[in-house]
Amino acid sequence: MFLSDQIRRAGRSLRSAKARTLLTAMAIAVGAFALTLTLAASNGAQSFVNNIIAKNFDPTELIVVADQTVLGGGDASKPTEYSGNFGSSVSNSGAVTQVKRLTDDDIKKVKAVPGVESVREDITANLQYITRPDQKKFVGTMQSFPPFQQPDLIAGSIPKPLIGKQVLLPEAYIAALGFPSVEAAVGKTITVGVQKPPATGAPQTFSQAIVQDSVVQEFTIAAILKKPTTSQPGTELYLFTSQEAAHELNDISTLGTANYRAYTDIFVKVADGNNAQNITAVQNKIKDIGFYAQSVKDTQAFLTQIISVLQGIVIAFGLIAVLASIFGIVNTMYISVLQRTREIGLMKALGMRKRDIGRLFRFEAAWIGLLGGAIGAGLAFGLGTALNPWITAKVNLGAGNSLLIFQPLQIGILILILVIISILAGWLPSRKAAKLDPIEALRTE
Amino acid sequence: MIELKDITKTYGKGDSLFTALYKIDVAIPTTTTAAIIGKSGSGKSTMMHIMSGLDRPSEGDVIINDKALSELKPRQIDKFRSTEMSFIFQAFFVEANQTCYQNVMLPLEIAKVGRRNRRKRVLEALSAVDLEEKIDAQASKLSGGQKQRLAIARAIVNKPKIIFADEPTGNLDSTTGELIIKLLFNLHKSIGATLVIVTHDEELAARCSMRIYMKDGEITRIEGKSKQPTATSKKTRRV
Ligand SMILES: Nc1ncnc2c1ncn2[C@@H]1O[C@H](COP(=O)(O)OP(=O)(O)O)[C@@H](O)[C@H]1O
Ligand SMILES: [Mg+2]
Repeated sequence: MFLSDQIRRAGRSLRSAKARTLLTAMAIAVGAFALTLTLAASNGAQSFVNNIIAKNFDPTELIVVADQTVLGGGDASKPTEYSGNFGSSVSNSGAVTQVKRLTDDDIKKVKAVPGVESVREDITANLQYITRPDQKKFVGTMQSFPPFQQPDLIAGSIPKPLIGKQVLLPEAYIAALGFPSVEAAVGKTITVGVQKPPATGAPQTFSQAIVQDSVVQEFTIAAILKKPTTSQPGTELYLFTSQEAAHELNDISTLGTANYRAYTDIFVKVADGNNAQNITAVQNKIKDIGFYAQSVKDTQAFLTQIISVLQGIVIAFGLIAVLASIFGIVNTMYISVLQRTREIGLMKALGMRKRDIGRLFRFEAAWIGLLGGAIGAGLAFGLGTALNPWITAKVNLGAGNSLLIFQPLQIGILILILVIISILAGWLPSRKAAKLDPIEALRTE
Repeated sequence: MIELKDITKTYGKGDSLFTALYKIDVAIPTTTTAAIIGKSGSGKSTMMHIMSGLDRPSEGDVIINDKALSELKPRQIDKFRSTEMSFIFQAFFVEANQTCYQNVMLPLEIAKVGRRNRRKRVLEALSAVDLEEKIDAQASKLSGGQKQRLAIARAIVNKPKIIFADEPTGNLDSTTGELIIKLLFNLHKSIGATLVIVTHDEELAARCSMRIYMKDGEITRIEGKSKQPTATSKKTRRV
């Protein structure tokens, strides 16, 4: 029998038992549904992480810290020994912790490591306020601008290099600070207030501290940042300025504290860092002198790790559904063989080969797998596509990101795997059919 | 020519040993119509199964056109059956939930007949049994006589050299049975195949040119043209 005839006959015998076929296929469909959505979510998460990484990190740079906990490592449940290098740091959740910081001396040591091209401190200065004459004051954070970053701009341009007291201002501040338009804002100045830490000694009242210890600086707006498509959560309203200006602001706000000229993390540019070997080599050398270095790849892996765990759980459920459906297929196929004993006997009498009869039933199992896979994946795709904008908005991933990304090839491979699993499940029943004695099968009395 | 040489078929072992066929020796010449006649349980079907290579004898050999079936591999016997033989059964064995077309098509698919000729050949076969109008009807919608005609169409579609019919009228009333018999003999004339009919109907047997009478697994008498000595005489010689 030709393959195409077998496939057609197998499909036809399924159609003659529609309810049974459909119910068996539904079990696979559940698995296919879960797996398709998981894969889509995994694609979405991966691309989200990749977007964040691509916009915020230079792959030839390493993040170097003195304290593992900054990078999410270490054991937070054990007491850490204190040394003079510790300074307070505020985590995303608002908790104030003491972390070991990198001092100027440490940076010198890192600079001396062979293969290190340059080092820049990651500076995030807390501003007291931003304002303009006759306008309200707003809180803000000023960060040193990473030179490789290419944010989307809606007005102005980023000078190369960005030096002095120039600032990149997020779009959201334009209206707040009373500019008539984004274009009008470019080249204008804003006033930035930075608070000095309270001087030791004389006791002060709260209001005195605020009024007396502020330093006010003028910044020129170089460009307006478009609402970021992808950014690290919580950094959407950051202002950016040159490395030296950020440095100066930071020095003012930390002078006399443990955080003065001490950094939670620095960026180390590796010479010829597109070569992964160079990255690893420098990474190891930095470890040797007592610091921790994380490459962009590591960061990516760390971010993806959490996603992977969640995915693993959903995939496990999907696989359980597939596993359960295997028993369904075996059962259905045995019933099919039993019901068609006569037909098998006849086909054998007419000279159909054992091998072809076995195949006929394996194709039948394959059809069930294909049907289930297609139903499950189709429903997941349809539902996912319909609900994707809504879910994405709810999860608040920011514009340009999708929670679910469906890849046709991936879905195709998934269905193929389900078909193969179904064929394997149909193996024993198909052997039973192939081995059937035609004389027994055709006995009438 | 279909030759059965000293065929013995036993079932079981030891105390439960049952001899279904004992030293069967017979030759059916090509294009003959041969009837195998005997009571129920006399071994007619068993003999037919062995003749067609569907079953293997415990002893002896089947030789069809000078080829010994015992020397053929299962694959070759399958090929042989799919290209040179066909079957008609008492219980029709047509697939009720398939159309007439799909039923008649089965032997062509099994024999890997090219797609181009199929429909034409199915139509030919169906018109030979006067069912061409039912080509796309479900087999379940047919009457008993029509079902057997459909089975006959399926049996002739592949232009076989030998047609085995196991009690083809057993499930039909006498008028319908009569029609089926007429049809079978007409077709035999027009396609020139060897026709082996298992029956216990004397009237039907009388129309065949050769009659093989069986009792308890042995041939008791052979009537009509046969170049072979009768089984009984040979058996006595050997004992
Ligand atoms: N597989 C088997 N096991 C044991 N006995 C069998 C088997 N097949 C057939 N027989 C016996 O062989 C004898 C001949 O059967 P069969 O050829 O079907 O008779 P007929 O077709 O003449 O009615 C019967 O007695 C039957 O019970
Ligand atoms: Mg019988």
